[in-house]
Amino acid sequence: MSPTPWRRRLLATLTVAPLVALAACSGGGGGDGGGAAAGCEPSDGPVELTFTSWVPGVEEAVALWNEQNPNVQVRAESVPAGNAGTYSNLFNALQANTAPDLSQVEYDSLSSFRLQNGLVDIAACAGVTDAQSQFVDWTWSQVQLGDEGVYAVPQDTGPMALFYRKDLFDAAGIPAPTTWEEYYQAAVALKAANPEARITHFPQQDANWFTGLLWQNRAGLFDIEGDTLSVTVDSPQSRQVAEYWQRMIDEQLVATNLQGFSTELYSAWNTGTVATWVSAAWGYSTIRDNAPDTAGQWAVAPMPQWEAGGASAGNWGGSTTAVFSGTEHPYEAAQFALWLNTDPASLEILNAEGGLFPAATAGQDLPALSSGVDFYGGQPIFDVFTEASGQVDTDFTWGPTMTDTYTALSDGFTAALNGQGTLSDALGAAQASSLDALRAQGIQVEG
Amino acid sequence: MATPVVTTSSGPSRTAPAGRRPAARLAGRRAWVVFVVPFAIPFVLFYLAPIGYAIVQSFLRTERSGGIFGQARTVFTGFDQYAAVFADPVFLQGIGRMLLFGVVQVPIMLALALGLALLLDAGVSRFKRFFRIAYFLPYGIPGVIAALMWGFLYSPQLSPIVDLFDAIGPRPDFLGAGTILWSIANIVTWTYTGYNMLIIFAALQAVPPEVSEAAYMDGAGAWRIAWSIKIPLVRPALILTAVFSIIGTLQLFTEPIVLRAISTNVTSGYTPNLLAFTIASGNNYPLAAATSVVLALGTFVLSFGFFRFAQRKGWS
Repeated sequence: MSPTPWRRRLLATLTVAPLVALAACSGGGGGDGGGAAAGCEPSDGPVELTFTSWVPGVEEAVALWNEQNPNVQVRAESVPAGNAGTYSNLFNALQANTAPDLSQVEYDSLSSFRLQNGLVDIAACAGVTDAQSQFVDWTWSQVQLGDEGVYAVPQDTGPMALFYRKDLFDAAGIPAPTTWEEYYQAAVALKAANPEARITHFPQQDANWFTGLLWQNRAGLFDIEGDTLSVTVDSPQSRQVAEYWQRMIDEQLVATNLQGFSTELYSAWNTGTVATWVSAAWGYSTIRDNAPDTAGQWAVAPMPQWEAGGASAGNWGGSTTAVFSGTEHPYEAAQFALWLNTDPASLEILNAEGGLFPAATAGQDLPALSSGVDFYGGQPIFDVFTEASGQVDTDFTWGPTMTDTYTALSDGFTAALNGQGTLSDALGAAQASSLDALRAQGIQVEG
Repeated sequence: MATPVVTTSSGPSRTAPAGRRPAARLAGRRAWVVFVVPFAIPFVLFYLAPIGYAIVQSFLRTERSGGIFGQARTVFTGFDQYAAVFADPVFLQGIGRMLLFGVVQVPIMLALALGLALLLDAGVSRFKRFFRIAYFLPYGIPGVIAALMWGFLYSPQLSPIVDLFDAIGPRPDFLGAGTILWSIANIVTWTYTGYNMLIIFAALQAVPPEVSEAAYMDGAGAWRIAWSIKIPLVRPALILTAVFSIIGTLQLFTEPIVLRAISTNVTSGYTPNLLAFTIASGNNYPLAAATSVVLALGTFVLSFGFFRFAQRKGWS
């Protein structure tokens, strides 16, 4: 039985209508360029803002703000960590014009969000540029993204240091290593004392851990000069780091089958088969909460140096509060972001509940950050991190397609950990992949 | 999986037998709309439209003017993205990996499913209902949960199975570069054997008992009856489960992405589906769309190719 014209029309409409609707949606996706806020004026009347974050306890700080600012009510939404899916959701939301007014964004992803027209330049909003002096230097250069704008307000940082099992080091008669060469010697000595023991694990997924190590050696991944972007992932400085860790892998001094933040790693910490972790300030709670059997046995020392007597630290992670381009209230959003990350009461909540190591210099004087920490044998460990924070290179630049750079590094690590390649190969692959990704985004690149 | 599509595609035109009175006939003819629309609207919205959108996207490319963070727009680029897909060694390796996986895992799983279905059908078990549900149960467990659970059983630090092997012989590494694929295959087999068994079992139930009885009277044993009577009669069900399994193999995603958290050997493009996801995460939607379209076409060609092959051989 052949369909009547009426039926055919109905079917055609049913089939085509959604396609047309979708096409109409996608047509508007071009956005308004860089999302630059020419002016930043207060809105009339009461304002409601939405804010996504994965800092535990951030709702409490938001509640305090809401109490103090009845006309600007913020609704906080708790989400998984950025790379655990939230960034993908936010990118999709930006395309669909359903993004929140503000969100937590890590330093390494700011550039990617700016590239997708996701960020508002809040430099014109009252109080923003004046706030620069309240933050650790390198954090402000991170939110400026290489030009005059201000694309987010720094929240916390992850200056790196060395967490190590003091008891195991003492038993083997090894002092805390001050240089990477000494760290290598310590790895050899630990393994000699216990053939099962490894000085640390080399995580395949934590490419941003590795970039923290690169940051320490001033191996910048990208370079922005005006309108020219160059990729410098594969550089003599990054090769030096890669070759060092390749030697550790080749000589089986590091555990190659443990993924970061996995129950397997925590089990190895508890049994003492993994003895150190070069990690960020926020890592203190990761060890404390997941290796309870080792309470009192860990200590923190500055990051090992490439040259004896050096004073350089890397940074791993840390977030900002960014205002998203879809907002109708950039002024209020900027005021909230500033308050959240500079107000003493807010900083105290974020540190107590979320364990944040603040980007605001005032925050580093919090009582909780100057006293001894029980789990670490009463050592005032945050002194080490505060010192490290001042040693982080201010010029380090992230690219706008970090997802691809990280992916290529991680995939290269898999090969290196299996002896099917080297970490230097991984750098080469990440260099090529970054160039491809940037070109796919229509960016002119050199590298 | 694609079950609902398959089961509903044959229905509508048979709903109204020709009535006697013209009015009733007209009403009967209109009635199909009532049946089709509830299916057609979601089918178009959530199935056809996204596919159409993906196809459109796959022919685009991003261009940018006015510096690094300048204005972006999409332009038509023909088959460039498709060329990039086929030039990507990671994609080709992923396809190769899935073919290897399918060639090994699908026959094993279907043999197991067929064996279990025949056992249930033979009625040797007194607890038929219990076993039928027990075998099917893994399919009811969400894929992520199943993968997490197996992850613990594979984990070198936490697994009782690893400890057991360790006690009696060499320590196995379920998460190593050479073994992870088969550890994934094990999870998939565990999950879907019961599902496939149920389809085959249903087909076995439709085999008239007199056929088996006649064979029995002619002196055939249980093995002989299974081999010469039952299996040939459930061939269409076997073909169907094989096609579903081929589709499922090429779309493998959940198990590798979950095991990635504990194994250092699952790369970002380990399976083609994972690769498409990774590319989309990097905001390269056109390339991700092209990858998805190629994957869908590949799946289509393989499953229909198998179907035609089976038909020509007279298997179904």
